[in-house]
Amino acid sequence: MKKKILIVGGGTAGTMTANNLAKKLMPEIDRDEVEIMLISDSKYHYYKPGAMYVAFGKSEGYEFVRDQRALLMSEINFEVEEATEISTNGNFVKTKKGKKFDYDFLVLATGCEVAPDRIPGLSEAGDWFYTYEGATKLAKKFHDIKKGRILVTVNFPKTPNIPHQCGIAPVETTMMLHDFLTERGVRDDIEIVYTYPTVAQSVTNGLFMQAPTSNVLPSIFDSLGVKHQTGFTLSSVDAKKKIAISAEGEEIEFDILMSTPPFIATKFIRESGISQALDDEGWLPTDKQTLKVKGLKNVYTLGDTVDLPVSKAGGTVHNQTDVVADNIASELRHGYTSESYDGLVIAIAQMGLSCGMPLWYNYDKDVAPTPCSKLGSFVRKGFNKGIYWAAARGMV
Amino acid sequence: MSEKVEVLKTKEMQELEAKMTMLIQTGRIDNLIDLMAVISDNIEMTTQPMVEKMIHTVDNLATAGFITENAVRYAKRETAKNEVPSLFGILKLMKDEETRKGLAFMLNLTKGIGKQL
Repeated sequence: MKKKILIVGGGTAGTMTANNLAKKLMPEIDRDEVEIMLISDSKYHYYKPGAMYVAFGKSEGYEFVRDQRALLMSEINFEVEEATEISTNGNFVKTKKGKKFDYDFLVLATGCEVAPDRIPGLSEAGDWFYTYEGATKLAKKFHDIKKGRILVTVNFPKTPNIPHQCGIAPVETTMMLHDFLTERGVRDDIEIVYTYPTVAQSVTNGLFMQAPTSNVLPSIFDSLGVKHQTGFTLSSVDAKKKIAISAEGEEIEFDILMSTPPFIATKFIRESGISQALDDEGWLPTDKQTLKVKGLKNVYTLGDTVDLPVSKAGGTVHNQTDVVADNIASELRHGYTSESYDGLVIAIAQMGLSCGMPLWYNYDKDVAPTPCSKLGSFVRKGFNKGIYWAAARGMV
Repeated sequence: MSEKVEVLKTKEMQELEAKMTMLIQTGRIDNLIDLMAVISDNIEMTTQPMVEKMIHTVDNLATAGFITENAVRYAKRETAKNEVPSLFGILKLMKDEETRKGLAFMLNLTKGIGKQL
């Protein structure tokens, strides 16, 4: 009987995994023994990291959107359906339109979403670059501001040892902001204040979630004239007075609040009953090596939905996707998993508008910060604006 | 001072020094330094818009490759599965909407080429 693999989510994780599975299982697909189905709530695929460039007027946004179907190999079935219910006992997923999708193997790749409403006043007075809508709004403000203070805040999930989306993004955007305001000729009249919460995964009172990078950041920020302080965990915002208030009891006035807001898993996952994360954040309990959802034999997850301590970013997914695809293929063929994820994350950080810093780390080894370079920036932008689509198609 | 440096030299450094000496003595080092300068100049002279245009071309080629790869794989599978169609069978194939869509694409592609000739 034909085996059914169902992938829920048409972002980076779902798309890459569908294509990698189709490649690895081509002999079975040719013999009509395996069927791969991907469902997504949108007919479009949005490449999220592109939004960062939109915030600084360096991209329009449309460059990072494509038809989902055009990114999938022809062997993959695709339907626009919003998943609403999952039965891990009955092995099926139900959708908003009432359709039922049975599976032998399930991949949950629905990512995460911004949840600014979890901090009083943040939705009204804060901004963020993690969505295209938010980045467009922010771009207008960055373009208009002539003097004042831009405050950077970062919130982590309440569930311990889990990062927010794209860990390095607040540092990147702070440095991009410095370059952007310098380009505009208004930097001298605008103060940039970078803050970081008291607890950031394993780091306490630092400026980044990993100690080696946290240790070098003060000198980098000092050289750019960016003010920095730790121990500021944003807990509420006085939208009328434009004051950010921390859980530690401090208040900072701002003209623009560039925040990394709280993140949560999507509603479908939060309501699935599988997660035990704090504060209804919805992170899936994930086996750090096999990438299976803990306690479920035939359900895998990867990307932004997991409860692992690694970055919620494409550079993580690119290394997880082959583990998931290999393990499913191995289970189908032999009945056991064959690969193990070591926590590898590879990326190039955009340290300013035209400087890129290659970085890699895994479960055991933190990022070793190196000087950024012009060439590094070219590779980063080349990936973001072109190579990504080949990676999503499983070609790279 | 030179004695101290001498003492700190590792075996690997000594090997490297010997190889570098050979490059200098044979005059090859000049070309290698020129090559490094050319690489550096190219990085210096490359601009962000140039990178974006180049990468756009790479993306277009990758997209064309992806579409072709998928189509060829599908065609091979279908051809292997089915018998060679009769003339009437070919007409029946044309009834399929996706086939007609692909055919229309090919005709438009031909027109697109013709426009440039």
